[in-house]
Amino acid sequence: MPSRRPATLRQSLTAWLWVAPTLLFLVLFVYGPALANIRYSAYSFSAMSQEMDFVGLANYIRLFADPLFLTGLTNNIAYALISVFFQVAFALTLAAVLEARIFPRFAANSFRTMLFLPSILPVVVVGLIWQLLLAPSLGLVDQALWALGLGEWSRAWLGDPDTAIFAVIMVSQWQWTGYIMALFMVAIRAIPRDLYEAMELEGASGPRIFFNLTVPGARETILIVAIITILGSLKVFDIVWVMTAGGPNHSSEVLGTLMYRAAFRDDTIGYSSTIATVIFFIALTVGMVQIKLQKDH
Amino acid sequence: MADASIHTPAAPQYVAAVKASAVLNRFTLWAAFLTLSAVCVYPMIWLFLNAFKSTNELFQASWALPETWRWQNFTTAWGHGISRYLLNSVIVALATVTIELLLASMAAYALVVMNFKAKVAIYMGILGGMILPPEVSLFPLFKVMAVTDLYNTYFALILPNVAFGLPFTTFLIRAYMMGIPLDLREAALMDGASEGLVFRSIYLPLCKPVLASAGLIAAMRVWNEFIFALTFIESDSVKTVTIGVMSFAVALRADYGVMMAGLTLSIIPILATFLILQRQFIGGLTQGAVK
Repeated sequence: MPSRRPATLRQSLTAWLWVAPTLLFLVLFVYGPALANIRYSAYSFSAMSQEMDFVGLANYIRLFADPLFLTGLTNNIAYALISVFFQVAFALTLAAVLEARIFPRFAANSFRTMLFLPSILPVVVVGLIWQLLLAPSLGLVDQALWALGLGEWSRAWLGDPDTAIFAVIMVSQWQWTGYIMALFMVAIRAIPRDLYEAMELEGASGPRIFFNLTVPGARETILIVAIITILGSLKVFDIVWVMTAGGPNHSSEVLGTLMYRAAFRDDTIGYSSTIATVIFFIALTVGMVQIKLQKDH
Repeated sequence: MADASIHTPAAPQYVAAVKASAVLNRFTLWAAFLTLSAVCVYPMIWLFLNAFKSTNELFQASWALPETWRWQNFTTAWGHGISRYLLNSVIVALATVTIELLLASMAAYALVVMNFKAKVAIYMGILGGMILPPEVSLFPLFKVMAVTDLYNTYFALILPNVAFGLPFTTFLIRAYMMGIPLDLREAALMDGASEGLVFRSIYLPLCKPVLASAGLIAAMRVWNEFIFALTFIESDSVKTVTIGVMSFAVALRADYGVMMAGLTLSIIPILATFLILQRQFIGGLTQGAVK
């Protein structure tokens, strides 16, 4: 950065004009509504009513006593843990294998394309396809289990409160692991090739090269992917809404579905805003951690 | 780095054991990647094949090839509104991407080349938008749309989509513009060019690669966008594909073959583009996504 004289008012005015449209969009559609939402969380009202009753912290007290809030939060956390395992640990391993020149180039490229493929599909379509695949008798998952002699494992994966959320989480892994793998492949390619060659000459095993070279070399990407994955899991809505809508019997609710239902099904806007505010602060905390981590590097 | 052991000849049995385990490892890796690839791709093939079946046939053998290829499933699905949903998605995506790229490049340009008060604060204010998930603003946005009569129009999707995309797009374009030598602009200004001309005829053309990549990322995001479309749209004539296929799936619960034909039609445009341009696609979507 070249050193500069302090900006004159005239210079500043010109520049502000260039950033004004972007700022305007953010204020009108991102920050303004987010602040309004926090304010709404202190009121009790319905969407069409003119009056809003001030209730102070009553919505928060109700939320923290609501067993569904605990269910939702637990499901979000399970979502985050499983996603970090698949999309960080597993995807990094896959990327390392594809970049290790074990497969011929054509094969490695084809594997990358095929594993990447699910990530280009709309989440809704993925949800609907897997609803069918997981359906008892019609679905492939069930038929595969019977064919493998595991028929007693067969069940209505999405209709069973014990498995519904895990089925949804696994579909999400199916969709995103290949995309994250492709991100890691880019990161691994940035590690100098001669470091790998030196370790290979020394006769280091694949796992040793992975832990001593690939993991430290891709550390920055790993951290950021981990944060993005956790953030994504805490604000997840669409795949759950499409596949189970939080059911059966609320067993697969996440904070996002609880928030949406409270606003657009139950018409309890204040309560919905309270859930949204909790999501907001969780996202803010995770986002701060990310900024801090990025600054440290 | 010198290691004496690599110069010492190893015992022959040891070498043979290492080779055998290397072959075994290689075999395991091939098997693992072939299985994973099948798991990723087969659901789509399953969908395509079943799109040709009658509901009866589907329930009898959803893994088999269709007995007769019922193309009429596709014409029925097309008639159920898929064409309209696709068109709406194209309109919303094109408008969003155009506005977003233009505004983000303008902001990035000012942030990179100009000297002004509160520059860092403004940049942080733009980036901060990346942290906020749309869920947090959903009801207040809904209210804005209702009050301004934008509810149930394309604008109800375009405006928030642009707003939530701007932070990341600005970030990408700014990072790229930092690599353009400032002398180019200074020389042009010296020759009497205006700021707008420098932006249009020097910066934008040089930024083509990042504009393509940022545009692709934005287009994919908008194409898949769900929660705004679910909340701000109710008429079939404005619904985008994501919400369209959902109402479609509900309406055709009894006719699985047609429903699958509809799902197939809804993903063909994006799938075809991906398969033709896979290298650019994967490159574009992974470039700068993690920085």
